[in-house]
Amino acid sequence: MTQMESTPQEAGKIVGEDLRTFALREHRSLWSDAWRRLLASPTGRIGMAIVAFFVVATLLTHFFWEYNPATDLDYSLKLKAPNLTATEEVPSIHPFGTDKLGRDILRRVAHGGWNSLRVGLVAVGISLLVGGLLGLVAGFYETMPLDQTARMMLYVLIGLLLGGLVAWVAGQIIQVVAFVLLGGIAAYFSDLWTGQPRRLALFGGAGLLIGAVPALFTSLAMALVCGLLGLAIGLTLGLSLRGPVVSTIIMRTMDVILAFPGILLAIAIVAMLGPGLDKGMIAIGFVGIPVYARLVRSSVLAVMQEEYVVAGLAVGVGQRRILFRHVVPNTLSPIIVQSTMGLASAILWAGALGFLGLGAIPPEPEWGAMLGDSYRYLTTGAWWAVVFPGLAIMLSVLGFNLLGDGLRDALDPRLRA
Amino acid sequence: MTRYIVRRLITLLPTLLGVTIVIFLFLRLIPGDPAVAMLGEHAATENVERIREQLGLNRPLFLDREALEEGDFTGFFDTQYVRYVGRLLRGDLGSSIHRRIPIAETLKARFPATVELALVSIIIGAIVGVLAGIISAARRNSPIDTTTMLGSLAGVSIPVYWLGLMVIMLFAVMLQWLPAGGRLDPAIELETRTNLFLIDAVVSGNMEALVDALKHLALPALVLATHPMSIIARMTRSSMLEVLQEDYIRTAQAKGLRERAVLLRHALKNAFLPVITIIGLQTGTLLAGAILTETIFSWPGIGKWVYDAILARDYPIVQGGTLLIAFIFVFANLVVDVSYAFLDPRIHYE
Repeated sequence: MTQMESTPQEAGKIVGEDLRTFALREHRSLWSDAWRRLLASPTGRIGMAIVAFFVVATLLTHFFWEYNPATDLDYSLKLKAPNLTATEEVPSIHPFGTDKLGRDILRRVAHGGWNSLRVGLVAVGISLLVGGLLGLVAGFYETMPLDQTARMMLYVLIGLLLGGLVAWVAGQIIQVVAFVLLGGIAAYFSDLWTGQPRRLALFGGAGLLIGAVPALFTSLAMALVCGLLGLAIGLTLGLSLRGPVVSTIIMRTMDVILAFPGILLAIAIVAMLGPGLDKGMIAIGFVGIPVYARLVRSSVLAVMQEEYVVAGLAVGVGQRRILFRHVVPNTLSPIIVQSTMGLASAILWAGALGFLGLGAIPPEPEWGAMLGDSYRYLTTGAWWAVVFPGLAIMLSVLGFNLLGDGLRDALDPRLRA
Repeated sequence: MTRYIVRRLITLLPTLLGVTIVIFLFLRLIPGDPAVAMLGEHAATENVERIREQLGLNRPLFLDREALEEGDFTGFFDTQYVRYVGRLLRGDLGSSIHRRIPIAETLKARFPATVELALVSIIIGAIVGVLAGIISAARRNSPIDTTTMLGSLAGVSIPVYWLGLMVIMLFAVMLQWLPAGGRLDPAIELETRTNLFLIDAVVSGNMEALVDALKHLALPALVLATHPMSIIARMTRSSMLEVLQEDYIRTAQAKGLRERAVLLRHALKNAFLPVITIIGLQTGTLLAGAILTETIFSWPGIGKWVYDAILARDYPIVQGGTLLIAFIFVFANLVVDVSYAFLDPRIHYE
């Protein structure tokens, strides 16, 4: 049956649909709209093409092109220039040339992609998960009062951490248990004498006793120190802590991390953990945490000002529902854009660590490490050993940056330049 | 205004305290004993112990709970961290473990090298970046605009370490126009006073040294400038585009002002605040030591110094250098924040 011979029924349906699209604008979700805009933008298209190329090539290479870096070694082919036809001197074909151990650079660049992209993905995953969560909590409670559960968690956490310090100093496990309990009590009876001096006196006194009495069994000096610490904890628990306190603690911690230039911090972490790709992922991921925390916090703060959130709160929608139904979905677009660009910088940094000899452990192929391996041979004219791994880094980074640019335009038309 | 600055400085204190804790903790967590590093692998145990005691490494890290158990109250605080902060407050950064040279002395020689490289780079980056951004915005969607924007995207995507190697290969190895590393030819004598070689050479009227220092500076400065240049160009362009849509721009054009006057006097002035922010932040980043660029070009600045020290486990250098870097970074951000109020009369800090 050809297309022309359609039944009257089908023909009617087609006409009906035409009419509907004519009369009403077809329903499109935010995401399908963004997808159309992404496809329409040249930067987005080029970025997607490059990223797709790297992802597909890397997956194909990893699963279908066997490579064992441990046995890849042939000194007779040391530092041969790229060739496309076999000669007597170089019987095999190496489009990208060979490196100092006679290894085919094309092959190692292709296999290095698996490592470089993986580092990028895992590192961004770590930053996004930890930083995003911290930013969400900070932004949300900066505007919302703590509810009973959140307050309980906060106070118990304070009791656990600060009480843990006292318990460690005194060498007595009982203290941490007591302070956690005190935290729980302070949270449960948060309405008791709120804001009055007698509340402070009550909890301060309790903290003083918990700190000092068990410590008396060790020495007087111990009791003094633990008593003072206990008093401080008690007073903290006696204050009615509000949401902004949580936010301040989180963001000040982020400021400390941000006070170090990223690459220096990453090097320090790898120096602490020891070299290796997995350590590099952790280091780069850790360094990125404050970036996402700040981004998510500021987007959450912006969303919390929106009318739909205010309206939701006004009609008595619960905090959790506001958070997950209204706030989280509306902070997604900046997060997606930042993560894409974050992938680009994570790949750059992974390469930097590898270049400095702190990333992949040889002979594992990784772009940065390949550069670090070969740059000493530049003076002998072996440019190919440095050019191709570097090109791979640059192109993949460019791809993610272009895609991120396109995504930003697509997801937030207001930001369009 | 003064009150705002004072308040900002006070809120910096916890951050800076946190920075000292992080630096201290990191170094103690890095595997390897500095006493062993000093004496070598085969040193006698009692010698290692003696050095550990000299350096205070036998003390607990933060708090000495055992001293307190014995009723010793001052011993409780007599720990590595407290001693470290105490030395810092007295301005004592310690000495290098391997070379026994005081950190402060090396800093005096090394920091100007980083400052020189950073300032020249940011000047190149700012001039080229701002110009490219203005032209791009004025000729929106023209081939010039597209080229500039693609170039700036490539600029943020290019690995600095790779670009450095490429320019060394091209200009130092193949063309042999410029030196591949260092700050000054060892054969040239220069009386150093500020350790900023360009200024020293001009002050002492030593033309030969000036030319040689400039030649040594050219490649690393260009490489280091690439990234800030691209970011500045993008920021200038988007900020200009926003301002160019304003009514007063149309008014200025309508009354027949020349294009250059509209762009520079009306648009740029109002578009400059975010650009200044970016330039300030990038200057902070560059001053904090360009570890990769300095390593590739054997530039004797603080970035390379700290990196070498991390690998050599020279604790005091890492501590002193990292602390300086972090302080510069934090204060640069503060200066950027405060400068807003000077540059934009609409912003007032109570």
